[in-house]
Amino acid sequence: MAHIVEDARRTATGPLVLHGLSVEGVNQCVHCGLCLASCPTFAELGTEMDSPRGRIFLIKALAEGRTALTDTTVQHLSLCLDCRACETVCPAGVPYGRLIEAAKAEIEHARPGSPARRLFRWLNFGLLLGRPWALRLAATALRLYQVSGLQALVRRSRLVRLLPGTLPAWEALLPSLPPRHERAPLPSYVMAEGARRARVALLTGCVQSVVFGAHNRATARVLAKNGCDVIVPEGQGCCGALNAHGGDHARALEMSRRTIETFEAARADAVIVNTSGCGAHMKGYGALLDGDPAWAERARRFAASVQDLSEFLAKAPLVPPLSPVALRVTYHDPCHVVHGQKIRKEPRQLLAQIPGLSVVDLVESDWCCGSAGIYNLTQPEMAGRLLERKIRHVLETGAEAVVTANPGCILQIQAGLRARGAEVQVLHLVELLDRAYGRPAERGP
Amino acid sequence: MATLTSGRKTALRRELEAIVGPGGVLSDPDELLVYESDGLTLFRALADFVVFPTSAEHVAAVVRLAGREGLPFVARGAGTGLSGGCLPAEGGLVISMMRMNRILEIDYENQLAVVEPGLVNLHLSWAVVPKGYYYAPDPSSQQACTLGGNIANNSGGPHTLKYGVTTNHVLGLEVVMPDGEIVWLGGRTRATPGYDLAGVFVGSEGTFGIATKIVVRILKKPQAVKTVLAVFDQVDHASAAVSAIIARGLVPAAVEMMDQLTIQAVEDAFGCGYPRDAAAALLVELDGLRVGMDAQTERIVQACRDAGAREVRTARDEAERALLWKGRKSAFGAFGRVSPAYMVMDGVIPRTKLPYVLRRVNEIVAAHGLRVGNVFHAGDGNLHPNILYDPRVPGAEARVVEAGAEIMKVCAEVGGSISGEHGIGLEKADFMPFIFSAADLAVMQRLKNAFNPTGLCNPGKVFPTKKSCVEVGPVAYTPHAIEAKGLAQRF
Amino acid sequence: MQDALLERLRAVIGPANVLTGVELSPYVVDGRTPEAAVFPGALEEVAAVIALCGQAEVPVVPWGGGTAASVGMPAARAGVVLGLRRLARLVEHEPGDLTVTVESGVTIAELQAALGNRGQWLSLDPADAERATLGGVLAANAAGPRRHLYGTARDLLIGVTVVTADAAVVKGGGKVVKNVAGYDLPKLFIGSYGTLGVIVEATLKLRPVPEAERLVALRFARLKDAAAAVRALLASDLIPNAVELLDPTAAAALGAGEAGGALGLAAGAVLVVGFDGLPEQVEWQCAELARLAAPHGGRDATPLSSAAWPRLAAAVRDAFPVATAVMSFDVVPAQVAELMEQGAGVARARGFQTAWAAHAGVGVVSAALVSDREPREPGPVCGVLSEWREMARAGGGHATLERAPLAVKSQVPVWDDPGAAGRVMQRIKAQLDPKRILNPGRFVAGI
Repeated sequence: MAHIVEDARRTATGPLVLHGLSVEGVNQCVHCGLCLASCPTFAELGTEMDSPRGRIFLIKALAEGRTALTDTTVQHLSLCLDCRACETVCPAGVPYGRLIEAAKAEIEHARPGSPARRLFRWLNFGLLLGRPWALRLAATALRLYQVSGLQALVRRSRLVRLLPGTLPAWEALLPSLPPRHERAPLPSYVMAEGARRARVALLTGCVQSVVFGAHNRATARVLAKNGCDVIVPEGQGCCGALNAHGGDHARALEMSRRTIETFEAARADAVIVNTSGCGAHMKGYGALLDGDPAWAERARRFAASVQDLSEFLAKAPLVPPLSPVALRVTYHDPCHVVHGQKIRKEPRQLLAQIPGLSVVDLVESDWCCGSAGIYNLTQPEMAGRLLERKIRHVLETGAEAVVTANPGCILQIQAGLRARGAEVQVLHLVELLDRAYGRPAERGP
Repeated sequence: MATLTSGRKTALRRELEAIVGPGGVLSDPDELLVYESDGLTLFRALADFVVFPTSAEHVAAVVRLAGREGLPFVARGAGTGLSGGCLPAEGGLVISMMRMNRILEIDYENQLAVVEPGLVNLHLSWAVVPKGYYYAPDPSSQQACTLGGNIANNSGGPHTLKYGVTTNHVLGLEVVMPDGEIVWLGGRTRATPGYDLAGVFVGSEGTFGIATKIVVRILKKPQAVKTVLAVFDQVDHASAAVSAIIARGLVPAAVEMMDQLTIQAVEDAFGCGYPRDAAAALLVELDGLRVGMDAQTERIVQACRDAGAREVRTARDEAERALLWKGRKSAFGAFGRVSPAYMVMDGVIPRTKLPYVLRRVNEIVAAHGLRVGNVFHAGDGNLHPNILYDPRVPGAEARVVEAGAEIMKVCAEVGGSISGEHGIGLEKADFMPFIFSAADLAVMQRLKNAFNPTGLCNPGKVFPTKKSCVEVGPVAYTPHAIEAKGLAQRF
Repeated sequence: MQDALLERLRAVIGPANVLTGVELSPYVVDGRTPEAAVFPGALEEVAAVIALCGQAEVPVVPWGGGTAASVGMPAARAGVVLGLRRLARLVEHEPGDLTVTVESGVTIAELQAALGNRGQWLSLDPADAERATLGGVLAANAAGPRRHLYGTARDLLIGVTVVTADAAVVKGGGKVVKNVAGYDLPKLFIGSYGTLGVIVEATLKLRPVPEAERLVALRFARLKDAAAAVRALLASDLIPNAVELLDPTAAAALGAGEAGGALGLAAGAVLVVGFDGLPEQVEWQCAELARLAAPHGGRDATPLSSAAWPRLAAAVRDAFPVATAVMSFDVVPAQVAELMEQGAGVARARGFQTAWAAHAGVGVVSAALVSDREPREPGPVCGVLSEWREMARAGGGHATLERAPLAVKSQVPVWDDPGAAGRVMQRIKAQLDPKRILNPGRFVAGI
């Protein structure tokens, strides 16, 4: 019995922090293990280092100094999707999302990786996401790549396989970008139709506005149909979610302050978000800026006003008339809607109001598709396994379309369906609502 | 046990990889770390390897290798156990069954399923529910715990009151014996020739071998279910209601009880609809035919009212019922919201002794300056006092352990048992003499010798470690013939 | 028999409780007369008897009501019969706990009567309840029709006290309905036919006596139609407590005085189903049963009197004045009708009469066979029995030869081969009874 240590006392007694962020939440974990089966990476691998409980254990051990950021610990912590499915089932209320983000920040700080990786991170987090003009420029280049026939050539020639690192995964996920006029920014104000219900501000997002401008326009139209004056604050950029999930804590803070500032000026009743990661992240601004006396109160107030589109719309019956949409669909829950914001029934309630629509249940509908922010780019192998699993369940439903509510999921599931040669559409919930309000189907991205 | 040299370790890792493949062996200390505990963090022990077999042949080969090397080994499922039962107490190998999690066959006509041990309990019910069936044993950890683990611990759950525990639902097992032989115990029929080895294996806490295939019964879902919530202002009244229900000739599917501290913790967690100011709540479930259901429910309601319930209501729909159960099943974990650590005790008493024992539990815990939350299977008399403590406070753990031992003694004194479903494992090995004599333990030891003569299969569990413990007991001890010959040893 | 041993036995338990000579005739099994029959009156006396016999290396044959005494391989040496009828006290019955602790020599009927007075019962209904003792029923794992809903001893026994071969008094399990402390010794002793220890006391789970209970019989033109009705019943929402499938011969044995006395006539098979619960539940289920069975040709739904219940467990044996052999089978439920049909066919082809009955929902079948030929020519009987066993084994089941003349038993093994598990069983026996004192040679794998 030499190995038995009848002592669970911590080796450190000070506050537990990683990269300056509190991870005291690890002490809420009672090691019950109820999270295990809900974790996609644990389900795939069966190894407890790749389960929420195991990662909490590692985070705790790191914070206590029982272990260090070795290749092994980095590998297991990096493999976390941050899908937060574990939070939904955790009876002890462990704030897992915050813990893993702290761990990822520590990893980025302590082990920034190769110069190429650092350049890549700077391009993304520093340049593209922070500056709408840079993102638009990149989009033009991408559009050129696609319409010139170069993409087709690359894919056909299998040249793509020669790309280094995770670039092939990048290539497979490239959205086919709509032409420039469809990428144009929204007007800054869209007036309510009929009885006025609320004044809302719309987050157009960074990637979203470029790749899925159509969703934003549909969102504005559907909100207007439902009595909302829609403000689209100018100068809004990225909310910082991708940075936070990627461990770029400093820029994430900066972006959150700018976002709050921009939206406060709109003086709206609610801030409406149609992308899951942004909504979940912005609802967490209060916790994020808690340590900043100048911003804490503003952040809390702002966070309380953030609502997912489905959450907002489901508060009242949809304003009629809705015309039939004859389609058999299934609904995929984006992680940061269902787990990050605990919104499960609302999207389904909205779908149920569309006449003619038939909705079939998706097995493991609240299971991550592998997109997870930029996870499909950094961990292509696991992302691929989860996508495979998702596509299998989608095809089992026999649905003509998968409905979801997040651009990352849409791109990922589209890529998976494309690879299988399946003729199943992937739609944002708002697109279906927009159709039911009489809008002809837009050319999909 | 001597520590393996690094050269030996490298060689063994290579051999293990040759059996289960390169991705199937862990030996990095950072990875072994997360396997140092199960759901009970009071005990920690590090393995030399964690191995991930995907077939019975893998398991057999790993076990034979362990035998050759004299290395102890222990099977692990999801690690949700609460007695340290799957800990590598003496180093060696942890054999994780998590990659053997398939449903191999579902035979509706004969109402059975053949599954691998790593299958999550609830996933079996999910698989058969479209055809109107389910797997009855429903431990509170059923969303994560595995059937292999359920076999080891003979797991129960709220619905055991009417449907029995795991052993009542297992027909047969394919087992890798501690010497590496693959043997079927039981089968697909209700009985097989000879001793009921499947029955003996279930609940043997992983000390008799490793199950690699499991044949379980699946049951038709009952036509109707009614869930009644009874709210009490006094714990004694709730305890009395339990016996009153039974005395009226009713056998509910489940009778669960939660006290105020527990109610508040689960309300914080999920907002399930339990009144926060109640001293205790009973969750009573009836299932069966639609005909007569209302009449039976009325009797339950009346029994609770007569016992002094301030409010009795029936769940209106499946959603409300599911929410009430979610609160009950998440109760252990929810204590994480009110305390940085807790130790869940598991004892059984005759249900008529409930009022007395609950009072004693509260007294004992208070005397040690601690708090306790009670959530348990009242219908079975299966108590789960959760002793809350802060591990950062010096001496707190020792007081918890003392209080726990005193509670176990009370259970034993009233004719009960020291474990209803969590098992003995490491935690309660030294409590065994509370309820078993030296002669009782000797027979258990001989039974173990028949399955596990080298003792390498999950050593250090179930039996008391203090040799003195077996010297007390009502029966005079004389050495058994096989002991005299040196073939066996009493522990 | 060593006189010294007899003297010591008399000294320990009193001369009146030690039978010898001609008094031993009730205890003759397979033509072998035991050396003595002893009847201890207390647990300590049981231990003393075993200790004395162990020292003298004389086998001990535990004996309850003797109803299953002939089940098993013939013993090489008859040894001393250890009768437990004097150990029959009700130790503890707390109705609120739904448990009872009782000494093993009590008969099932006595126990049920005592419990019934307080509105409870032991949900175990083996044959011969008037004679069968609880200890014997546990040791032989005997059960009756209600096992369909309530299971067998393994589902009811929560604690057991045994005297082991080294004369130690050993407790397994406990007195509470849920208990996982230590190994499940009760499971070890159930169905062990007295080869590992002598059961002296048991604690069992009880149930409240149902308010209403009814048996209904339905006639079918063909066995396979009845089997289809069984399938429909098992897939339905109904909760029968017994599902009995009988051939006409066995059905006739349910009782000549019954409304069901003529049950077997003009039928290919009879299905007898039991229900219990509230009166309205029983009523509704009986009506549903008739509705479910009708499409499969089930007709003449007839309620049977409660006197038919105890006859169900022994219907096959009682179908003939003296059955030559009785074989029982454990198969998967889906195999029941086929086994009954083909088994009867094989016997008929060889000119034997048979009776068949099954607890159809749990796959437990029994068959009796009558031969009017000279028993010294056991060949044809053995042939049929062997074929029956092969049929059961082909479907993953097995057969036990419960009763047969010695000449048959010597050719057809009583027990099926337990396979590799047999070696584990032998090791258990060697651990618990290394000197082979308890019922040696009677059980599987030479145990």
